[in-house]
Amino acid sequence: MKNDVFVIIPAHNEKRHISKIIRRAKRQSSNIIVVDDGSDDNTSELAEKAEAVVLRHIVNMGKGAALKTGCDYSIKKGARRLVVLDADGQHKPEDIPRFLEALEKADIVFGSRVRRGKMPFVFKFGNSFINKVNDILFGIRLKDTQSGFRAFTADAYKKIRWDSQSYSVEAEMIANVGRKNLKYSEIFIKTIYSDRYKGTTVLDGVKIVLNMVWWRLTRWH
Amino acid sequence: MALIQGIQIIGILFALFMIYYTFINFKRKQLKKSESALWFVMWFIFLLVAIFPTYLKKLAETLSVYRTMDFLTILGFFFIILLTFHNYVQVKKNGRKLEEIVRKIAFRSIKKNKK
Repeated sequence: MKNDVFVIIPAHNEKRHISKIIRRAKRQSSNIIVVDDGSDDNTSELAEKAEAVVLRHIVNMGKGAALKTGCDYSIKKGARRLVVLDADGQHKPEDIPRFLEALEKADIVFGSRVRRGKMPFVFKFGNSFINKVNDILFGIRLKDTQSGFRAFTADAYKKIRWDSQSYSVEAEMIANVGRKNLKYSEIFIKTIYSDRYKGTTVLDGVKIVLNMVWWRLTRWH
Repeated sequence: MALIQGIQIIGILFALFMIYYTFINFKRKQLKKSESALWFVMWFIFLLVAIFPTYLKKLAETLSVYRTMDFLTILGFFFIILLTFHNYVQVKKNGRKLEEIVRKIAFRSIKKNKK
């Protein structure tokens, strides 16, 4: 069991999946950090029962803020490598060793979802569009810029630490990777698209693109 | 001429209402003395301009704006842009502070649970 690997799982009303995800993640690392982002259900209690370290946001701050809380805490606790994944059951914790293997040769590893036809058209189109904008603005080519399954080193985290509180976090991470010229790699992951879209809307996609343009204009050297 | 007078009346009523509104906020201690004084001065100037718009005419003409109403509208736009930017900065600042507070509380709750 790798003790310097911390798995961070931001969760908001995830009572359906959280226990199972933690149990599966525990087979990959002993350090499972769940950030309960102001859930109304018993996500926290279930996560504690499953023996994860639970950080509770007293109000819902958004995925970006929850991830940052988890990553900051992990760094304080001596994490050398951080893995972030979603709590909605779409990511397989069994993929973590593949991320860690790829992380040997990179500062950050992106997990790109293999599409299996179940993704709604509007999200397929939105994702492709964001991928293209990302390539044009930051010169980083990824098949899936919006996947939340990623791994990075502690040093990389200090360089890419984001401001976004919301779903723009994934895009901002990439923008910061480009800005700091970090080494990145991409691995393909299988996902289940069951209730992936309960949190994101078309408007979120528009905001993400506008934010990307803003970061390009204000942060690029 | 009649239109200008109508606008003047609206301007005067608006200025009086804002003076009253500022006063209420001052009484409720939602605005500090210095802040209230600044807003009172601003609304008072607004009131004077509404009553005597011709005083602005010379200044407007110097700036190549030939109608006083146009000049006031331009000034109004500048002021709104300034306030919007100020609010944007404040909202961002408050958002960051809130995030930090929520994070600190989350870290503290862990320490308590460990005890």
